Amino acid sequence: MHSLETRSLERRFGGLAAVNGLSFSLDRGEILGVIGPNGAGKTTLINLVAGLYRPTSGAILFEGRDITGVPAHARARMGIGRTFQLVHPLESLDVLENVMLGFVFCRGLGLRAARKEAEALCETLRLGGLARELSQITMLETKKLEIARALAGGPSVLFLDEVMAGLNSDETRELIELVKDIARSRNIGVGVVEHVMGVIKELTHRVLVLEAGELIAEGPYEEVVKDRRVIEAYLGGAA
Amino acid sequence: MSLRRSAMLAAAGGALAAAAILVWKPTVLVYGVQRAGLYAAVAIPMALVLGIVHIVNLAHGELLMVAAYLTYFGATLLGVDPYVALAPTAVVMAALGLAIYNLAIKHTLKAPELNQLILTFGLGIALSQGVNLVFSSQSFKLSLGYVSASATIGDTSFGVYDFAFVAAAFAIGYGLRLFLTRTRFGKAALAVGQNPRGAAIVGIDVNRTYGIVFALAVALVGAVGSMFLTKQAIFPDVGGPYTMKSFCLVAMAGVGNITGIIYCSLVLGVAEAAINGLRGLRGWSDIVFFAIIVATILARSRAESRR
Amino acid sequence: MRRLARFLGPLLLAAAAILLPFAVGAYPLAVARTVLVYMALALSWDILVRSGQISFGIAGFFGLGAYASVLADLHASLSPVLSILAAGAAAALVAAFLGLAILRLRATYFSITTLALAEIFRVVIHNGGDFTGGAEGVVLPKPIFGGDSRQLYWLALGAVLLACLCSLVFQKTRLRLALTAIRNDETAAKSNGIHIFKYLMVAFAASSFIQGIVGGIQVQSLGFATPESVFDPNYTLLPLAMALLGGIYSTPGPVLGAMLLGVAAEFLKLKIPYGHLVVYGIIIVLVILFMPRGLFGLARPDRPSAAKARSLLRKGGGEGSSRA
Repeated sequence: MHSLETRSLERRFGGLAAVNGLSFSLDRGEILGVIGPNGAGKTTLINLVAGLYRPTSGAILFEGRDITGVPAHARARMGIGRTFQLVHPLESLDVLENVMLGFVFCRGLGLRAARKEAEALCETLRLGGLARELSQITMLETKKLEIARALAGGPSVLFLDEVMAGLNSDETRELIELVKDIARSRNIGVGVVEHVMGVIKELTHRVLVLEAGELIAEGPYEEVVKDRRVIEAYLGGAA
Repeated sequence: MSLRRSAMLAAAGGALAAAAILVWKPTVLVYGVQRAGLYAAVAIPMALVLGIVHIVNLAHGELLMVAAYLTYFGATLLGVDPYVALAPTAVVMAALGLAIYNLAIKHTLKAPELNQLILTFGLGIALSQGVNLVFSSQSFKLSLGYVSASATIGDTSFGVYDFAFVAAAFAIGYGLRLFLTRTRFGKAALAVGQNPRGAAIVGIDVNRTYGIVFALAVALVGAVGSMFLTKQAIFPDVGGPYTMKSFCLVAMAGVGNITGIIYCSLVLGVAEAAINGLRGLRGWSDIVFFAIIVATILARSRAESRR
Repeated sequence: MRRLARFLGPLLLAAAAILLPFAVGAYPLAVARTVLVYMALALSWDILVRSGQISFGIAGFFGLGAYASVLADLHASLSPVLSILAAGAAAALVAAFLGLAILRLRATYFSITTLALAEIFRVVIHNGGDFTGGAEGVVLPKPIFGGDSRQLYWLALGAVLLACLCSLVFQKTRLRLALTAIRNDETAAKSNGIHIFKYLMVAFAASSFIQGIVGGIQVQSLGFATPESVFDPNYTLLPLAMALLGGIYSTPGPVLGAMLLGVAAEFLKLKIPYGHLVVYGIIIVLVILFMPRGLFGLARPDRPSAAKARSLLRKGGGEGSSRA
């Protein structure tokens, strides 16, 4: 039994299939890369898994249970976490309160306990200045906050949507180590959507390649990168 | 069921209902259509603002009222017919609209839309109470000969003056459509309504467009206000219900659908008149609009929430 | 010591409020009572506003509560005090029932629907024939407590204390986190495990409960109810302006706003017979344009800066709101 599994997942918008016949699995402790050209359906996939979209057909299983009809907030409680590519700030809450949310609403802790846990989590991620407003934090801290928010919910699978975007090489390195650590020490299955191939190469055990909503290749990075269909998808046409 | 079929069924149902009403109480149909004319004429300017500037103007009805008052005093002080005072009133209202836009609305456009809602709500109160302050809650009415013109068909007679509102609705609707699709400014305004950022990129002055569109809408509702004065007694709160009814029509028809507004106003106008005609149900006609507005909004949101 | 100091202010205020009837005459007391009625409504409105949903239907649930109280009193022979509780319960139940449908709406659609609801309630009561007294309304044999102005004042004060308590519960518990998150960004809120519908329902029901109670209190204090007097739009307008001016998203805000505007309104009513409410309209406009967080929002010492407070409201709508 896999932690997360999708079977022939399909999502149509009008006539367009953003995701089509997608089947994959993710287990705890694994780091799965998800790559593909723009518009390939990577974010749609995350939204489907997280419960923000309903699939038009297909199924999603979490720890063997069919969760296709389960609403987003319940999935977060079950242990499916995600970050957002376009950051969704909760500006009326400060950094600490943002992180507290998952502890309070996913894990059911009281405010005092949640505060302690959130502080501890932020320290682990080396995120400081917790009383600050969201408009005052740096890019790297924003990314860490996104990850902290998702971790606060106690997920067993976590999807990171282009979390490395906009970071310099030092910051990217720090986050890479962070993600590795998350997967290993917290035994979380991490799905990493990225455009930067170097990150994918270093971070992932296995890679999914999407194009036009379909899975065109799956396997370790070195194999996938040599696959003819993948090359065509990125370069468009004769390689 | 396809859209075409359901539309045809609706039309058939409507025709049937109209026929039934004609047989039972022909005046209901007449008055219903006349009311529809007024409602549509008032609603279309609100749709214009909603579609292009994307705000709901909760002071819409109050602007109607202000224009009516302006026309009343203009007409009585100058000793002219309200229709003569209509054009100057519309001009004054346009200026008022521009002022309201630049002083108030413009500053809340970047804020969440609920700010704009509260703003126009407060504006409406300020206007109606301001008029109350200056003129007290006494109502004013003109007595004009031509408003009691009537016609007789068979053994039913009915007032015909109110068809002027129907004419106004068509004039405004059709005129706006021509304006928006045939003139340069109109087309630019449509572009701004669809995609403000894109319009700005191609060099359209979005802010100026908003201001002019808003002023135009206020001028139009002002013109209707002048006509309103000819038939109705005016008092500070007279405009209030028209805000809600206009929003109801716009919500039903969908933003940008001017013909839809005319159809919907027909349905609602006749429904209101029908309920008014039923002696036992007279008091309920007030909520026809409100009940339908709630039903429409709910139906819409149900359709939207199909993720 | 600091903590005690924070409680001192409100405690003194509460004490002063309780002792007021011994210090002033009947007329100022009646004014104060009216201010308290609006204050409780302002507090109740603010509770729902924290979720990002703006209701224009305060008068609707207020009026519903008023009629529930009067009808329970007359037709079910409930004691006045019990009928007031029944009023609150009735309003909350209706809100919960309607909420199932309308809490899926957002922003403008929700607001306009609440406005329409108030009208619908009014017309239904208006046409309720003998049961509701129709257009003439209903008269109670006598007002509660025999109309004794001191007791009526304390009754209203009780409502305010209830509303303050409710408001504080929403400030100090996880409810604040939930409603604030929902207001800022529903997608993010959902992703953090917040069941949006549930929390909106809680806020809506609590808000309506208070409005119903206040409606019951008002009608029992005045001794009569008519559709027009009880569903008066002023019961929506004044609390809204008061909460905005005083500062939304807080408990002291609506209290402050009610005190300021309530007294000002009374003063204005004497000077200007018609249209003194124009001040309310103007205040709403000015507050939205220049200080959307209200007076209390500007003076907040524990938040980083007042300028931030202003910009906070500007982004407070978040992605949850849909364009009309």
